[in-house]
Amino acid sequence: MQRMFMRRVGLALLLMLAATALTFWLVTAAPGNVAALIAERAAGAGADGAMIARIADELGLNDPLPVRYARWLGDALTGDFGISLRTGKPMAEEFAERIPMTLALLSGGGVLVLVLSLAMGIAGAVSNGGVADRVLHGLALVGASTPNFFVAAMLVIVFSVWLGWVPTFGVSGLSSWLLPWTTIALFPASVLARVVRVNLQDSMSRPFATTGFAKGLTRRAVLMREALPNIAIPYMTTFGAQFTLMIIGAIVVERVFGLNGVGAFFIEAIRFRDFIGMQAVLTLFVVFFVSVNLLFDLLAMLADPRLRRPRKA
Amino acid sequence: MKNWPWAILAPAILFVLIGIFSPWIMTHDPAAQDYGALLQGPSAANWLGTDYLGRDLFSRIVGGARTSLIAMVVVLVAALAMGVVIGSFAGYVGGKTELVLISVIDIALALPSLVIALALMGVFSGENFTWMSDYWKMIVALTLAWWANYARMSRAVVVAELQQPYIEAARVMGASHIWIFTRHILPHVLGLVVVYASADAGALVLAIATLSFLGLGVAPPTPEWGQMLVDGMSYIEENPALVIIPGLALTAVVVSFNLLGEAFALQKVPRAVRGRFLARKRAARAAEETARNEVQA
Repeated sequence: MQRMFMRRVGLALLLMLAATALTFWLVTAAPGNVAALIAERAAGAGADGAMIARIADELGLNDPLPVRYARWLGDALTGDFGISLRTGKPMAEEFAERIPMTLALLSGGGVLVLVLSLAMGIAGAVSNGGVADRVLHGLALVGASTPNFFVAAMLVIVFSVWLGWVPTFGVSGLSSWLLPWTTIALFPASVLARVVRVNLQDSMSRPFATTGFAKGLTRRAVLMREALPNIAIPYMTTFGAQFTLMIIGAIVVERVFGLNGVGAFFIEAIRFRDFIGMQAVLTLFVVFFVSVNLLFDLLAMLADPRLRRPRKA
Repeated sequence: MKNWPWAILAPAILFVLIGIFSPWIMTHDPAAQDYGALLQGPSAANWLGTDYLGRDLFSRIVGGARTSLIAMVVVLVAALAMGVVIGSFAGYVGGKTELVLISVIDIALALPSLVIALALMGVFSGENFTWMSDYWKMIVALTLAWWANYARMSRAVVVAELQQPYIEAARVMGASHIWIFTRHILPHVLGLVVVYASADAGALVLAIATLSFLGLGVAPPTPEWGQMLVDGMSYIEENPALVIIPGLALTAVVVSFNLLGEAFALQKVPRAVRGRFLARKRAARAAEETARNEVQA
């Protein structure tokens, strides 16, 4: 059991290393001469060959790629991600300012996903084939297909422009978080609502549900007491996957609502060819993605002994 | 399939038809600006009104369908081909090659596809890639972001299929690797992966729109729904139709494709398609059987 845990953790670390090495190679080597870019930023059109060569030398851009990666990794492990080519500030500083914003967006959205998906899924199962079930099924389908930027735009049109209840842009108090949280939560909540609904239905046809009925429990009691705890594992696994995908939601939502988070920084870095900023954000994303996946894998293993057994060859 | 919501397929079918025939459906040049008619409502001349540059909204919606359709089809086919080739090669060859390729696939799956596509758009903005147009940069970025899932699936199918006794039999009879692969294994791989890919059509349309919305996909003046939507956001108070119409078009198409994909994935294929699907399978099985009989005789 412990060995399985350690193995998973080790594999996750290895994956992070390999993924950051690949992004490092792609982002710093493929696009062309970063030194020329920096010289151009610093001196405008007046950048000459000597200046470019000096900058390349100073930054160690002439060293072989593995050496550069090792140096970058050493710095990154001590929290030094370099200096953003766009803002001129150390990436550590940018992160300190922006990560809280993105975390607030993700955690608020995550809570909303939890509440919405369970409420929708359970309500659907309670109504079982009734009007509410069908309406909720339709809602979940549309929710899982609507582009989140369109959701954001519609929320802004209805609640800010027409009704004037909440501000369109920026953050000022709790009310300004409502639209971003709703936007980011809608897609994962729709997907998870269907997971809840389908798995509840599946549980209701299992022998333990029949036993519950034979004991004289009502349908609702069987559903809530017997079937509901059984969906925990598939729910957790899907929740983990959907939570990591909320990075994409965060990128879009931060842009639409003008939030100064990591996602918005990522898009600006791409547009301004800030390769150092890009590499730093990608590293952050890799770490987030791999460790959240690992966490939910391990949680599932803790909850389900069947997953703990080593697989037979 | 009696209760299947057939009407929901209409947006997907319309999307494909409009995408193919868009030059004949447009009433205006989608890039033509008319400063005499900015942000107009619907009229006889401009059926859905005009945008902030006086461009005809209807023609831009129609043109946007083609932009997305072409990109989607190219990405789907290219990613599928790449995934099937890499994945089944890994599964068939085995050994160290397989290990290396699996690691590459795992790394490619270590981030959401859209984040990879975004990062690649950044890489492609460098000086080494100026020979590609923005449109093709987006297509290449999406392909490179999308193949890994198909590769993983293909590998799994190949590994499972290689353990079947008939493969051993074929090998004993002296069949070459190429023969075994193309005749026996590839059909299984394609059968599964194509179904999954068709379920991905909606997700791809969405990804294309999202990239363009973020300003990293299709660049103006080429019409594209996500980019039209973000342009319209600045004029949300004057003419919300500039946001609502592209958004609704996009949503309808994605809902439609997703339902279709789900039906495919659950093998609940609509009867018209299912009939032909099964007929083809039956024909294939019959052909296999005759081949087997010939071998025995």
